[in-house]
Amino acid sequence: MMHAALPESLIRSLSLTLVVTSVLVVETRRLRMAAAAYVLQALLIVGLLTAFASMNGALYWWAATALVTKALLIPWFLLRYIRRTGEVEVKPLVGFAPSVVVAALLMIVFFRLTHSQAGLLVPSALARDEMLRTNLAVASTVFVLGLWSLLTRRDAVKTVIGLCLLENGVHLGLVSFAPGLPETALFGVASEVVVTVFLLLYVIEGLVREFGSTDTYRLRELQW
Amino acid sequence: MVTPSLLPILACVVPVLAGCLVLAVGARRRRFCEGVALLVGAFLAVVGAWAAWTAARGDVLVAWNNELRVDALSALMMLVVGVLGFLAIVYSIRYADHGHMMDGAGMGGPARRPSVLYALVLLFLGTMTWAVVTNNIVMLYVAVEATTLSSGLLVAFIWDRRALEAGYKYLILLTVGITFALLGCVVVYAAGAATGALAGSETLMISRIREVAPLIPRPTALIAVALLIAGFGTKAGLVPFHVWLPDAHAEAPAPVSVLLSGVMIKVALYALARTISIFFPTIPQLTLFAVALGCLTMVVGVVLAMTQDDLKRLLAYSSVSQMGYVLAGVALGTYLGCYGGLFHLMNHALFKALLFMGAGAIVFATGARRISEMGGLARRMPITAACFLVGALAIAGFPPFNGFMSKLTIYLALARAGLWWAVVVAVLTSLLTMVALIRPVFRIFWAAPSVDSEQLDRAHEVPVSLTAPMITLAALCLLLGVVPALVFPLLDRAATVLAVLAP
Repeated sequence: MMHAALPESLIRSLSLTLVVTSVLVVETRRLRMAAAAYVLQALLIVGLLTAFASMNGALYWWAATALVTKALLIPWFLLRYIRRTGEVEVKPLVGFAPSVVVAALLMIVFFRLTHSQAGLLVPSALARDEMLRTNLAVASTVFVLGLWSLLTRRDAVKTVIGLCLLENGVHLGLVSFAPGLPETALFGVASEVVVTVFLLLYVIEGLVREFGSTDTYRLRELQW
Repeated sequence: MVTPSLLPILACVVPVLAGCLVLAVGARRRRFCEGVALLVGAFLAVVGAWAAWTAARGDVLVAWNNELRVDALSALMMLVVGVLGFLAIVYSIRYADHGHMMDGAGMGGPARRPSVLYALVLLFLGTMTWAVVTNNIVMLYVAVEATTLSSGLLVAFIWDRRALEAGYKYLILLTVGITFALLGCVVVYAAGAATGALAGSETLMISRIREVAPLIPRPTALIAVALLIAGFGTKAGLVPFHVWLPDAHAEAPAPVSVLLSGVMIKVALYALARTISIFFPTIPQLTLFAVALGCLTMVVGVVLAMTQDDLKRLLAYSSVSQMGYVLAGVALGTYLGCYGGLFHLMNHALFKALLFMGAGAIVFATGARRISEMGGLARRMPITAACFLVGALAIAGFPPFNGFMSKLTIYLALARAGLWWAVVVAVLTSLLTMVALIRPVFRIFWAAPSVDSEQLDRAHEVPVSLTAPMITLAALCLLLGVVPALVFPLLDRAATVLAVLAP
């Protein structure tokens, strides 16, 4: 195949570690730890992108952008914020054990789905490529874990981290879907996440001042 | 005829640069900021009019390697963005003086200065213009998300509990929602590229992907459409993705509500129509689904609107309902449907902006938003009352106002497509809209106030920079109702762009 040069075992282990970091990001209730796991994940993504870049030069740009936005800027915003407010997340809606079980189930389902149905999304020779299918499976797992944390976490900051996770999944997926995307598009997509995180944390700071906590369940001013 | 032009680039870049300029130097120079904002607003309105004029003659403006492309549909949207942008800026000059805008409890906030308001509004207008002129499918997503980011702090601008909650929900829900649109756009791109019929940067051009759409496999197309509806539909306020809309549109300051309800949700619907219509010729059943979604949106929106006591929330829910009309028209895919849908899009922009300005004027004069706390304002604010009444009649579809014409066109289009159930739903919704809006209008302006309020007694007509935009919009509502042929050349071409199915 076109990228036989890539050691398959390397990509496999990188992919699996990615999933592990996602679970860590979602499940740990120490926000600083979650941010650290997020940085680890960002670095893994950069590594993965660099590995894939051997088949498509544009991905070097993608990797560089990911390094700056995901591994530096976003964690910096998060940590700066966490230092000023609380260290511990507001208790989530779903406890640790059931959450891990759900995460594992989602993972299995998505691995199966992407391996059997990848052709639906990418109707090309790429879809049959084992490497990209694995990547797609990992990407969708990260995406769904992000969605899971958005739905079940009450803490506003944790919600933002979940959002970042979701975006990581999407960006990773782009490598499989659309390896030929030009740099400008990738740059636009990546930089918007940074702005989103910045704005959200800014608004959350206001929320904390007004509501006294990052618990989103207290946001009950507006109903119907 | 396809003509290269600098205009599309200028229309995107000028407001963004002006916004940065205002942000950089504006802290102490309020007059300067106002001047820049007004100038740029006027510029956008003129550019929109010019683009509409060129497009009505059949020209397509392109720039930057076909990256930006202004056909009649984009020109229509540029006109809406430009004209309403300008009027909203005129409106905000005095509105920004209002107490609740600049001095709330506590400081914080995006340093609530007028300069920040103008800068963000300019950025917002620039990104919306970009969204309607881009021809690049991934950049379409980037631009639509950029409109969310530039308006996020505007929604929370007042920085009290309600505004902050609305801003938080707005940013989170729209970002998550729009991520689905990114996936949808990328699937469309990848599927288009996989057909092998396009090369190089052509694979990203919406105008080119349309041509190869028949080669895209059906299941892939369906997945893409589902993702696009979830994504752009969230932003357009379609039911069931509308939950953010009433909060954001009601809690934002009035000029921002005007832009959100009058322009932004239309831009999202434009993006939706532009992308999913690619697949209408190959999967005509999609139109049925989209019309049904439109009908659901109409009904749910209007029913929720009827239950509101807060005037701005009522207007926001009615926006949801009216977006249902636009979708039902545009989603038919026939010429008549697209004509009606786009006409209603334009009309709704006019009268909903008018209504939000009216609500803003009431807040400006009395500080009140609850309908039950108001009454008898017509004597004290005759111009606002008259304009608001025009807006309410127009949205309810009374002749001779513009809403009547566009709704009638949509009914006819639905009937010609044989969707009689949809006609029934649409007519029924129109009747409910009448109930939902006329009752509060009577209550606010003509009924005796139920509570004794010093605020109400002291209320008087708002300054001319608030009434002038309202009078302009009311006049336009009447004009387009009496002479709908005025916009025919533009709408005709724009509908032809979208209409992919035979009548």
